Amino acid sequence: MSDPPVALLAELTYRCPLRCAYCSNPTDWRDYGDELDTAVWSRVLREAAELGALHVHFSGGEPLLRDDLESLVRAARDAGLYTNLITSAWRVTRERLAALADAGLDHVQVSVQDSDAAHADALAGTAVHAHKLEAAREVKALGMALSVNAVLHQRNLARVGEIIALAESVGAERLELANTQWHGSALAHRDALMPDRETLARAQAVALAARARLRGTMDVIWVIPDWYEDAPRPCMDGWGRRFVTVIPTGVVLPCPGAHGLPGMVFDSVRDRPLGDIWREGADFQRYRGTGWMSPTCAGCERRDVDFGGCRCQAFALTGDAARTDPSCPKSPDHRLVRDLRRERPATAKEPGGPLYRIDIRRGPRAS
Amino acid sequence: MSDDARRPTLARRARLRWDAARAQHVVVVPEGVLALSAEGAEVAALLDGRRSVTAVIDALAEAHPEAPREVIGDDVRDFVGRLVARGYVTLEAP
Repeated sequence: MSDPPVALLAELTYRCPLRCAYCSNPTDWRDYGDELDTAVWSRVLREAAELGALHVHFSGGEPLLRDDLESLVRAARDAGLYTNLITSAWRVTRERLAALADAGLDHVQVSVQDSDAAHADALAGTAVHAHKLEAAREVKALGMALSVNAVLHQRNLARVGEIIALAESVGAERLELANTQWHGSALAHRDALMPDRETLARAQAVALAARARLRGTMDVIWVIPDWYEDAPRPCMDGWGRRFVTVIPTGVVLPCPGAHGLPGMVFDSVRDRPLGDIWREGADFQRYRGTGWMSPTCAGCERRDVDFGGCRCQAFALTGDAARTDPSCPKSPDHRLVRDLRRERPATAKEPGGPLYRIDIRRGPRAS
Repeated sequence: MSDDARRPTLARRARLRWDAARAQHVVVVPEGVLALSAEGAEVAALLDGRRSVTAVIDALAEAHPEAPREVIGDDVRDFVGRLVARGYVTLEAP
């Protein structure tokens, strides 16, 4: 028997005007163009709420590219969900933000690529940084909760202090400092984005000091870079345990990165109610609980703490999604992680050339 | 000014609701959920920005004549204080 999910991650579209190299969306994101319409999404939102979800996170890609976002926010609020928009804020107008607030949007999470426009716009591949800050202030002025999110990697980790100051300056109540996870484009650009241990340690010290200093004013969340830790990241808080993801075409996944795993059935909300898929879908059963675990995980006292780590990372590194996440020091494959991480800072100047989201077209995806 | 004269208000970003799937009251906040005891839910429902802390205690004391008022008062101040520390309740001047 599965517990109900706490949150629905609604990936409305994989289209995005930004070109961030650390993007975790699939690299063949253009092939997911057969997006669910307003009516189906509205049904999915109701089904998620009936199933027990309390939150919906509208994400992407860039969810603002959906003209029906206001309708979907309203449908989510009517279903009782707490609504969160995860956005780059690209070209969003004051009028649109006001319409979203009016539709019942509770919380907006604005991404920033770096602390200043020159670095940030180079990473985004478009001039967007200054507008983000205006939009963030407007979110606050409209009375919605504001988070700032920054994905961290070798090219911006040294400025984490400035990123924290920026989040404070726009009045964010939460700041997510999320070290890059190696999926999608990020995996393809891993060598260029991989932090070195010293840079990472300095950034972590800055982040943890800020977290203590800002307690009660701004929650500073430091998402660990699991390749450098003593334990793997408890990916999604366990497979099919707290989160359910619906991708643009309607396929339901236990984790937004699970597209790439072999043997997935890819149940769709076009064919089955969300609750059935959550409770009985083969993809959700596959790594739920502890029955699937390798002896390394099954015999570990932390099996109910970090749930064996990340299935996608296990597959990407070992070719077997059921193995212990190699980021765990107990993994027999841990050397794979040791060999790829950077123990020492680069001595030569970093090659600073442009680096963008991978864009591969394979052909239409079945949904 | 006594702190008890202030009017606690549940922040707009913190929503009190019944969670039917888990049979409990919760306060839903950005990326989080605070599970409430039955007593906590009763207090939270009174944090409407109109009542002072004293008025909240009065209302609970009236509803629970069997409970000592000092105990109710300590529980309310503790509960409100914890939500204030996390930014989910603001204290308005009287």
